[in-house]
Amino acid sequence: MEPSPKYLTRNFGNPAALGFDGYSAAGGYAGLKKALAMTPQEIIDLVKAGNLRGRGGAGFPAAVKWGFLGKTDGPKYLCVNADEGEPGTVKDGPLMENDPHQLIEGIAIACFALGIRQSYIYIRGEFYKAIRIVEKAVEEAYAKGVLGKNVLGSGFSLDVAVHPGAGAYICGEETGLLSSLEGKKGMPKLKPPFPAVKGLYGAPTIVNNVETLACVPHILTLGADAWNALGTEKNGGTKIYNVCGHVQRPGYHELRHSVTLRELVYDVCGGPLPGRTVKGVVPGGSSSPILLPSEMDVRMDFDSLGKAGTMLGSAAVIVMDDRTSMVRALDNLLHFYSHESCGQCTPCREGTHWLYLISQRIVNGEGRPGDVDRMLDICGNMVGNTICVLADAAALPTQSYIKKFRAEFDAYAAAGRRIALVGGAQEKAVAHA
Amino acid sequence: MSLISPQLKAKFDAVVARYPKGQEQSAVIPLLHAMQEQGGGRLTEADQKAVAEFLAVPVSKVHEVATFYTMYSLEPRGRQHISICRTLPCALCGCEGVTEAVRERLKVAPGEVTADGEFSYEEVECLAQCHLGPVLQVGDTVYGNLTPEKASALIDELARKGGAAAAKKD
Repeated sequence: MEPSPKYLTRNFGNPAALGFDGYSAAGGYAGLKKALAMTPQEIIDLVKAGNLRGRGGAGFPAAVKWGFLGKTDGPKYLCVNADEGEPGTVKDGPLMENDPHQLIEGIAIACFALGIRQSYIYIRGEFYKAIRIVEKAVEEAYAKGVLGKNVLGSGFSLDVAVHPGAGAYICGEETGLLSSLEGKKGMPKLKPPFPAVKGLYGAPTIVNNVETLACVPHILTLGADAWNALGTEKNGGTKIYNVCGHVQRPGYHELRHSVTLRELVYDVCGGPLPGRTVKGVVPGGSSSPILLPSEMDVRMDFDSLGKAGTMLGSAAVIVMDDRTSMVRALDNLLHFYSHESCGQCTPCREGTHWLYLISQRIVNGEGRPGDVDRMLDICGNMVGNTICVLADAAALPTQSYIKKFRAEFDAYAAAGRRIALVGGAQEKAVAHA
Repeated sequence: MSLISPQLKAKFDAVVARYPKGQEQSAVIPLLHAMQEQGGGRLTEADQKAVAEFLAVPVSKVHEVATFYTMYSLEPRGRQHISICRTLPCALCGCEGVTEAVRERLKVAPGEVTADGEFSYEEVECLAQCHLGPVLQVGDTVYGNLTPEKASALIDELARKGGAAAAKKD
């Protein structure tokens, strides 16, 4: 594994960088200064050449998304998606808590390139600390002339405000986020029109993830070639990966996209707990299809994982060892998705609900013949049939867990008794269940 | 409008100013947070009506928001409300045992308030602290790497802090 220099996390553990002066002393705002001397189109072309992919999960090229922004003389918006909540994901929270000015710099560069004068940072409501830190940094950025009228004497003006969420996974979906920002239930909107054409308050809007924007200053300072050299083909730069579940050293790490899932789990995070073996690994957040130990030599970039039948998503790795009941693991996630479905599309509202009910039946030892196939049948009616991809996010893992661990599902359904999520050492802890 | 003190009104005005004219509804979420905090963790119908009147939006729109998002509670909560993550990464690391320890220590069901009004708790979905699982959150503080024993000891500590805070107020 090639060691990775730190860019996104270079200020982590340096509390001075929380302030404008400390951030600037560490090289901060050099990217913005450079950008302000370029034309907007030059900046967009540079980010495009840097192969920056959307790091909220979809991996869509950021500069291509920017290119869709509708032309208008009226207001346009940049909304920052800081509604981190995909199970397993820990990156946007640390990015905001440890280096808020890096995000502000990315926002300022993006807005200058796109001619946007108002940005909202939508931070999930439970992130009290991140909200506090980012609000303070925004205030200081105004005081130092990085935000507000005439940014760094460029003649360009930009306002940024923090907007808190209030607890809803669906607001991480970009149109759900916009509904929430408008003061409504976080219900996604039908696309097209895409937010770039008709978004916040009906105006052209770009929604970018925190990590995506945090990359932008580094593309400016390093240049596209050096940024690309850190990544793999069409996956520019370094990336923050979080590893959790049954590993010796869970945590998040900034690494090159060329790292394999096996290196990440074994070399970076110490591998499974003593005496245990890996049974299944989720590579990109709970919505990504699960991989077997034999499939772990895949590179952790958007295209390699796509070819492996799963996705990089939010780069959140969840490791499950040989004690884990895959039936119970899926059941836990089905509770999550049925709870988080906003309820407006029938295939999702009913589909996630019935998947969970049937799963619960099996888990409680009351499975009926055909239940496992019934779950697959429901999945088939969910995928692609809804306004947003929450239905797919529930159905795709369901299909993959059942496909890869079919015998275990059939055995559980036939056993007629409850089995612990994690057997062995933790059997006691879950015995009451 | 008596629920909105002059201090709170100043805060509300500053929040509303973040959004364009005519888009005051955008302030519903932050304003409801402030009302709930003032109300000790509970949003009443009067709170919702006050926000609706302040922003000149129908009370039904505010109620929709108050009931859609999980951070709002229309029921009373303890002075310290504990959110225990239940989602897969925390579950793999034994969060069920943590919830059980909290239940045993507080002797109430999720959503109920202890007799002294100090605590309530609930299981919540992913808090995005998965590398620290199992985690729980109290107010703005996240506690990680919990075991049933650590969770029980944490509640003792929180109870002492709560008692000290109450003594200070008196």
